Amino acid sequence: MPATVAPERRVGPLTRTDFVRYAGAGGDFNPIHHDEIFARSAGYPSVFGHGLLTAGILGGYAASWLGRRNMRRFTVRYVGQVWPGDTLVLGGEVLRTGTGPDGGTEVEVGLTVHSEAEGREPRLVLRGGATAVYPARALARAAGSRA
Amino acid sequence: MSDRRHLVGHAYTPYTFPVEHGKVREFALAVKDEDPVYRDAGAARDAGYRHLPAPPTFSAVTSHWAVRDADVLRLDLRRVLAGGAEWEYLSEIVAGDVLTVRSRIADVQEKTGSRGPMTLIVTEHDFVNQHEETVLRLRSTVIELGEQ
Repeated sequence: MPATVAPERRVGPLTRTDFVRYAGAGGDFNPIHHDEIFARSAGYPSVFGHGLLTAGILGGYAASWLGRRNMRRFTVRYVGQVWPGDTLVLGGEVLRTGTGPDGGTEVEVGLTVHSEAEGREPRLVLRGGATAVYPARALARAAGSRA
Repeated sequence: MSDRRHLVGHAYTPYTFPVEHGKVREFALAVKDEDPVYRDAGAARDAGYRHLPAPPTFSAVTSHWAVRDADVLRLDLRRVLAGGAEWEYLSEIVAGDVLTVRSRIADVQEKTGSRGPMTLIVTEHDFVNQHEETVLRLRSTVIELGEQ
């Protein structure tokens, strides 16, 4: 079972190279994420990170907090851009605990990613959530091993 | 902005791709995930996996494999933003699996928000493994802002 509040994790500062590495790994070569000239022509001050890069970093954080095999659902909604030089601050908290489909415990959590940069207020860039399930069997076994 | 609501239900050509060991490693590095299960088959087996497991958002790598169908949406990349996504994990995905992806346009909505008119397009993807087991469902939303 996860702790009620996840330990904060900081990732960054992110660089253009991180965006290019993600483009190659994920396969999304929209030039808005690596081509400064294209990004400016679209009205942005610079290139910005893929939403899925932030989501991917958050997914790993959620999996290590909740247990990756327990995670049944993971959702993200992008609310702001991540610029080169930003540091991501990841957080999570348990919102609800109930009984799952097979009698185990189902935990719903809220997740957030804020972006910090020198001289700027931290901004919320992603709001997410996850559902994790802990089977009754595993809990009984864990309790047994402690006895 | 052209009305694209008639595209709801459009199915893309299905395609099949192998979950590769090296790609799992590359993807975990790109999302700065240091869990050893993504680089060490021994650590993965100790954690109960048959091989390196796929990271939670690994479905993104399908961009390398998707069939380049006729571009029905005709998005203008200068005005496109990622809206969000939802992953539903139904079973395990590990290196060595072979997944077939079936995708369709699930919803198209024309809206007016604080940034003016915009189109929200929701695509649903089902991932089925070599044993005909649906292992993952993904619902993703992209937003195209209106022309300035």
